[in-house]
Amino acid sequence: MRRGSIASLLGIGIVSGGIAAAVALAIPWLPVSASKEAGRIDFVFWFVVTICIVIFAVVAAAILYSVVVFRAAPDDDSDGPPIHGHTGLEIAWTIVPTVLVTAIGIVSAIVLSRDDAIAKNAMNVNVTAQQFEWTFSYPEAHNLTSATLMLPRGRETVLHMQSRDVIHAFFVPEFRENEDIVPGLTTTLNVTPTRDGTYPVICNELCGLGHSTMRSTVTVMEPAAFDKWLKGQSKAVTSPSAVTAGAAVFKNNGCAACHTLTAAKATGKVGPDLDKLPAYAQQAKQPLASFVRTSITDPNAYIQPGYPKNVMPQTFGKAIPKQQLDALVTYLINSSK
Amino acid sequence: MTAATLDPHEHHLTPAGGKGAARRLLLGPGFIRAGWMFCLFGAIGFGLVVGFRWWGGWQPLFDMTPITLVSLLVAGPLGFLAGIGAFDYWTRYAIGSPTRPEDHSGHGARTWHDYFRVNTDHKVIGVQYLVTTIFFFIAGGFLAMLVRVQLARPGNHFFDPQTYNGLFSVHASLMIFLFVIPAFAGLANFVVPLMLGAPDMAFPRLNALSFWLLPIAGIMMLSSFLVPGGAFACGWTGYAPLCSTHQPLGAIFFNQGVQWAGASSIMTALNFLVTIITMRAPGLTFWRLPLLVWANFTTSLLVVIATPFIAGSQFFSMFDHVMHTAFFDPNNGGYPLGYQHIFWFYSHPAVYIMMLPGFGIMSEVISVFSRKPIFGYRLMALSLMAIVVLGFSVWAHHMFTSGMSSWLRVPMMVTTLLIAVPTGIKIFSWIATMWEGKLHFNTPMLFALGFLSMFVIGGLSGVMLGAVPIDIHVTDTYFIVAHLHYVLFGGSVFTIFAGIYYWFPKMTGRMYDERLGKLHFWLTFVGFNLTFFPMHLLGTEGMPRRVADYAPKFADLNMFISLASFGLGASVLVFLYNMITSWKNGPIAPANPWRALTLEWQVSSPPPIFNFDEIPQVVGSPYEYGVPGAQHAILAPSPAHAVEEVAAP
Repeated sequence: MRRGSIASLLGIGIVSGGIAAAVALAIPWLPVSASKEAGRIDFVFWFVVTICIVIFAVVAAAILYSVVVFRAAPDDDSDGPPIHGHTGLEIAWTIVPTVLVTAIGIVSAIVLSRDDAIAKNAMNVNVTAQQFEWTFSYPEAHNLTSATLMLPRGRETVLHMQSRDVIHAFFVPEFRENEDIVPGLTTTLNVTPTRDGTYPVICNELCGLGHSTMRSTVTVMEPAAFDKWLKGQSKAVTSPSAVTAGAAVFKNNGCAACHTLTAAKATGKVGPDLDKLPAYAQQAKQPLASFVRTSITDPNAYIQPGYPKNVMPQTFGKAIPKQQLDALVTYLINSSK
Repeated sequence: MTAATLDPHEHHLTPAGGKGAARRLLLGPGFIRAGWMFCLFGAIGFGLVVGFRWWGGWQPLFDMTPITLVSLLVAGPLGFLAGIGAFDYWTRYAIGSPTRPEDHSGHGARTWHDYFRVNTDHKVIGVQYLVTTIFFFIAGGFLAMLVRVQLARPGNHFFDPQTYNGLFSVHASLMIFLFVIPAFAGLANFVVPLMLGAPDMAFPRLNALSFWLLPIAGIMMLSSFLVPGGAFACGWTGYAPLCSTHQPLGAIFFNQGVQWAGASSIMTALNFLVTIITMRAPGLTFWRLPLLVWANFTTSLLVVIATPFIAGSQFFSMFDHVMHTAFFDPNNGGYPLGYQHIFWFYSHPAVYIMMLPGFGIMSEVISVFSRKPIFGYRLMALSLMAIVVLGFSVWAHHMFTSGMSSWLRVPMMVTTLLIAVPTGIKIFSWIATMWEGKLHFNTPMLFALGFLSMFVIGGLSGVMLGAVPIDIHVTDTYFIVAHLHYVLFGGSVFTIFAGIYYWFPKMTGRMYDERLGKLHFWLTFVGFNLTFFPMHLLGTEGMPRRVADYAPKFADLNMFISLASFGLGASVLVFLYNMITSWKNGPIAPANPWRALTLEWQVSSPPPIFNFDEIPQVVGSPYEYGVPGAQHAILAPSPAHAVEEVAAP
């Protein structure tokens, strides 16, 4: 190989590697990092990207150089030199990639075992997924339920996740965490939030027609603020005022994901419009109170024309305690009048 | 081969007056008999279901789900196959009627009608495959355009969510099962027997049957849009229990469509294996095989071993749906992750089923258009075998976040990363093949170079996904969509285009328009990158795949991607125009326009009806470009007008 060709090959390699590196650095590829685990995963990400950029630069340089230099003239019918191989070169491009991918494997395995380790003082949260809503409950706080996830900053949390129907997945891009929720299994996910803020909780496994609406949020806050929130919630749900309690139950069970209800500022379009409950009850020829209750506990008993069967979960009757259900029914009747 | 053996066929085509003609039209093999036999078998299937339900006293008597399955998706298609004539020879044999083993009436194409019947000529079947798969490529592409319409802006409501989920599910199913896999089978069908110096495939009638299963599978998947409740909408992966118990009737159109396409795949692969092992010309040892043949040999191994697994997964899923079994229903003791393990045990090797034949095409094209021998021929062949073996040990990398046993992640990560090594060997060897060569940038070579660069990007993003911590963040996001399109579009589809342009002169006997070919390449290359590269960014930022709607912050990129994808879609029109006009009016192709050494180029374009008038004697490697006086095979001079001579009465 001529010295000049090595120089120009190197030149093309540096330019194409430089362009790739610029693309990697100039664009904000990853969302903000809001957990300890995210920091480690980002390290693996950039470690592998660096190796990839080097390989890309080598390959791009060789291809571009060949295309420019070895182009045959239109009337050139001759053949190239009959080179059949080069054992040393072939061994090299078997060994070097093997070493590189082994390095990637080792780094990944170490990060994985660190991310999987559970701290002693970890807090437990139960996550229930069903078409198409999330419920989070706090076993260490009287199983208080919430439609959005609240987490104290700096404390490791273990999510114990169950599904009531099909496979869902819990995904928070800012946490770099993602795990499927499989009916019949309890899967777990560890997260140690490090940054205050509100981030999206996304269902990341196709779960049916409302998949793209199956969203919630996670809010990371000061530990003190978190304790205050827990206490306030416990109080609201058990409030003697049906309106306060009912509104809290409506919110905590994620009704707003699918239904419209002006009083709760809910604008969901998957299920029937709850502002029209009295009209629906008339169509169903049932008294309003029992109609509303049955529609929650046994949604297939009456299906409003224009909406499909089997979309609303049939498990609310079991999931919501009686006292809270009473408050919810009263709240819905009052709000829809 | 003489005209005498072709007599029965000529007789069959001759229009005779009166009752005889009408009787032949109704009872002879063809679309008319296929039509009424479809209805007849469908009615028998209907009768069976209703009869059994009546006998057993089951209510309701007319249950749409089993009736649709048995009558429309199983019995009807069998009737169609019987009607079109796929079983005629075997039926005659089975009932003891006289058969003529030397009867070649179903062989070869003289008019375009011959492409629309059961034809046992591998060259006709290859073209049938390609035209059919391109039809489904366009159908699948059209669905992708509709997906991009919905995703152009957040909050769009062009389609209701169930329809939208159906759009991308059918798009993927068509592209995988009805385009990439069978398009490779079609190209190989045409080329492999020629490269082996064989007159046809080992089992020509099985070959014909395996083609006719394809349109059944494709029409089944497409027509699922018409059934009540809409198309199957659980993704092409059809995860249970969503697909097995939470979907409308359309889901079984997917389950059953996969069975027909899979059966076709297995039959073809068996045929290739037997053909390659037993029908090589004298002197054509395994170490002298063109790499395209090696590629199809290894692919066929993958197909034969792996495809029964997806068949099993779809049967179980369908039983859960139709017969209320509980293979994957956790409420009754089923195990949803079991579906994923069985499914990916096929579907990861399927990634290589969609890749290895393309590797074969690349080796042919790059060597010929660089005018140099393949660099490191034996390592190229061995790396194909390495991919086959390793390919069966990586399936669970699709399941890193599925909730499977967590210890399984690290070993699967290691094998996944290691499989990059044989793939890397191939890429480096192709570049070394070009090194110091005499490069000619005809359209096949442009697509080969496009493949090389795009597949490197897809391969590197694959290494990223192989690392479990990265996969945990980007799995099921648009990063996956970007990666899989770089591998399957930038990889497989580019090689299919390269192959079609490369063998177009051999298949049709005419040259394609080089300028239009280059235009097609550049439109595809640019449109492809503008469409799919930004998806990496959407994915790492956290936009999930398979959603009908998304957060407003992703709006601009999605609009850009949608516009680019319409351009990419339009580029296919250039390809179609080029193919159709060139096939009709292109300049007559010489026997060997690319000055290639492999056997298919040593016969006329298109080849004579039985390929070689005299069996060639192979004396060397197929890639000895630049070696003075080197020959791959010694052939008796082939008469260029063999086809016309045979056809003359």
